Amino acid sequence: MAKTVSDSSLHKKSPLWRFLLGELRRFILIFLIASLGIFLAIEAMPEDPVSLRVKNPDPARIEEIRDTLGLNDPLPIRYVTGVRDFVTLEWGKSLISGRSVRDEISRFLPATLELAILGVCFGVTFGVTLVLVAHGTGWRWLLQPVRGLGALGLTVPIFWIGLLLILLFSVQLGITPVGGRFDFAYASPKGTGFFLIDSIISGDGEALLITIKHLLLPVVTLGLYPAAVVSGTLEARLGESYLQRLVTALRARGFSPFRIWGKHVLRLVSGPVVTVIGTQAGALLGGAVLTETVYSWPGMGRFLVDGVLNRDIFVIQHGLLLVVVLALFVVTFSDFLATRLDHQLAKKESE
Amino acid sequence: MRSSTRYTVGLLLLVVTGFLLIGCGGASDKLENRIPSAFIFARGADAQKLDPADVDDGESVNTMAQMFEGLVGFVPGTLDVEPHLAASYEISNDGLQYTFKIREGVLFHDGTPLNAEAARFSFDRQMNPEHPAHFPTASFQYWQNLYADIQRVEIVDSMTLRLQLSRPNAALLTSLASFPVWLVSPESFNKYGDQMPFNPVGTGPYRFVEWRSNEAVLMERNPDYWREPQAGFDRLVMRSIPLNTSRLSELLAGKIHGLDGIQPSELSDLKDDPRFEIHQAPGMNVGYLAFSLLSERMQDLELRKAISMAIDRENLVDLALDGYGSVAAYPAPSSFLGIPDDEGPIRHDMVAAKAMVEEHPEWTRKAIQLATFGQPRTYFPDPSRVASLIRNDLEAIGLKVEIINREFKSHLHTTRRGEFDLGLLGWMADTPDPDNFLSTFFHSRAAIHGSATNISFYKNGEMDALLDAALAVPDLEKRKQIYKQALEVWARDLPLIPLVQGNQITVLDKRIRGYLLSPTGNHFFGPVYWEAEEQAN
Repeated sequence: MAKTVSDSSLHKKSPLWRFLLGELRRFILIFLIASLGIFLAIEAMPEDPVSLRVKNPDPARIEEIRDTLGLNDPLPIRYVTGVRDFVTLEWGKSLISGRSVRDEISRFLPATLELAILGVCFGVTFGVTLVLVAHGTGWRWLLQPVRGLGALGLTVPIFWIGLLLILLFSVQLGITPVGGRFDFAYASPKGTGFFLIDSIISGDGEALLITIKHLLLPVVTLGLYPAAVVSGTLEARLGESYLQRLVTALRARGFSPFRIWGKHVLRLVSGPVVTVIGTQAGALLGGAVLTETVYSWPGMGRFLVDGVLNRDIFVIQHGLLLVVVLALFVVTFSDFLATRLDHQLAKKESE
Repeated sequence: MRSSTRYTVGLLLLVVTGFLLIGCGGASDKLENRIPSAFIFARGADAQKLDPADVDDGESVNTMAQMFEGLVGFVPGTLDVEPHLAASYEISNDGLQYTFKIREGVLFHDGTPLNAEAARFSFDRQMNPEHPAHFPTASFQYWQNLYADIQRVEIVDSMTLRLQLSRPNAALLTSLASFPVWLVSPESFNKYGDQMPFNPVGTGPYRFVEWRSNEAVLMERNPDYWREPQAGFDRLVMRSIPLNTSRLSELLAGKIHGLDGIQPSELSDLKDDPRFEIHQAPGMNVGYLAFSLLSERMQDLELRKAISMAIDRENLVDLALDGYGSVAAYPAPSSFLGIPDDEGPIRHDMVAAKAMVEEHPEWTRKAIQLATFGQPRTYFPDPSRVASLIRNDLEAIGLKVEIINREFKSHLHTTRRGEFDLGLLGWMADTPDPDNFLSTFFHSRAAIHGSATNISFYKNGEMDALLDAALAVPDLEKRKQIYKQALEVWARDLPLIPLVQGNQITVLDKRIRGYLLSPTGNHFFGPVYWEAEEQAN
């Protein structure tokens, strides 16, 4: 991480497009390395997915199917075709279900993104609000849950928290659904695949309520980890002396605590917070997989894990490449954002 | 100023909490105390395809069982064959012609009338590689294994279909009652093409509505169903919930009405709960321990015998299946034709086994590799536990055992190449015929490196001849005699030890009526209904 930060500071004075070009170059390089890695890993897999799919395989028919799928072509050809197929969005069909991998992903990715984005938003808002309110109001007791949150979010497995929440809110109190993304008595919202957006666009209040109910527990579960990380980072930052001096100075000028903490301090610490979120994207993805399992959420996590367990080559190949691309986007974007925020910080300090 | 900010923040928190509580409030007890219009059932995985000709996973079959039917089918709760979409059938004396009189007035869900032509589609597309619905990536494995003796499918008249066989096949009638030849509407292929497996159109009590991949298959009542009882619910939802704990929570929260795929050890809480009923019965499966005859040391019959005597199979049932199963005396369930209902030829005798090992010190020099796997199956709810129990037994007679635990597909890959000394695996029957177990385990044509189901790689001309002969004899008594001989050959050569037969377990809400466990292991929810309330509330 230290390297990318110093990289970014080098770019600070160059125009935006230079920065983007550099990022793009890095992006393509990492993509090529990752795609080669994924291909070699699939190649190293000793099992034949086509014959393992069937209980009682007929060798001749298996060979026919492998030929049809192009699995008997030499590796370099398959690699080039594979990368080309990925770029042109021709992602083939699942060996198990026969469904188009692209159609499947266009169902599962919005489900995961909806959960992940809301989880991060909830976690960050919750963590930041808690810390800032505790400092701003002087209610030191609010810092106790922050520390508790750190212990809970970082050490207790998501699995366990998820099951605990289900037992309490769904089984005992019966106020939330146990799992799933939507009710089965209603037609699910159609359009973007993000049920929140779709139900708002169609103006269907009932669907919106159902969507929110199903989102509540998973979002809270998934948000605990980012909340813990962010509030921890924030706590550490707020201990720094220049901030203490700044707060004293602002207070002396008669600013309200809301303005001091909600505006000035928040702006100063948002850079590091964004970087933390960016670098934790991988951990978040892992958390999303576990959350999806506990809440029977029909998302990418389960799709990819099933794909790997079934040796479903095209699902693994294109699914993982997509995850790599998305992770790169998140890291690049958060780097970019953090640089911009640092920029302001630098300007502020020189004033 | 400070106190006013405090006040504002506090108020804000209060309002937000209030909103959250209100938002959650409305959902409670939706399913309670009234007759639900939808029956919601949950299992551990989603269906793969809804094309009868190209699946072999239980979840797909269980979903299709609500929407499709065959010319013949099983009498509910038994393995007896009765006419379904055929009004009657006739088998010629030489066993070479099966003639089906198609039932009048049956409609597929898309309105296509059922006749001989429509019925032929489901056979033709499997046997004829040139058929447009012979999809290039479909395996059609069952045609090869169960129906290959069908040479021609002829239309006698518009409502009569005749199967012409190349040789008699005594198992065929049972096979015809099984899922691979359930009838699919030919119009659905014209309409959906290669998307047909995702748009199932059959004749069953429920018809397809929507498939939310990895979530649920939604079905609704077929108003034109041809027989009584009609579907008991307006809607039928087959959900997939991978985590057992979550599936159980859904049941306890009253969000679903039934589930399967649960581990015996997880049933303890449900057993005493008056809201639920646990349906269980022996499943059509056998969990076994195979000796790979490709491994040099396992070619020693004496060693195989010593191992078979050392393993305490009762103990496996108690500890690895929590009592939800039974000892498998033979390599096929005892409910099958020609399989005796007795204790079988394998005796548990530690003393004798130990004495044999003491006579052969060379057996103990190198550890025996015992290959097992991680994921639970009906026959082994906990395969690793089975492996360690077997290791205990074998170490007790002085052998050394090394357990190799792999993920299921890797394990399958290894066993299909015979790369092990001892291998744990099982078989779940496709059709209730002894041939489906015995030829799978012992016929030399199933011992092909890389795709073997005869993972012992047991090759014996005598066994092959018996298994082939048993299929060619239409007379049941004669067939029984031949299988008896085949079992004697098995007990003499002992290429594998049958260990356990796992129970199939279904948990349903007590108010669900009309459910009968099918020995085939499939769910037929057509006749299932909700018990009428005693008093009107």
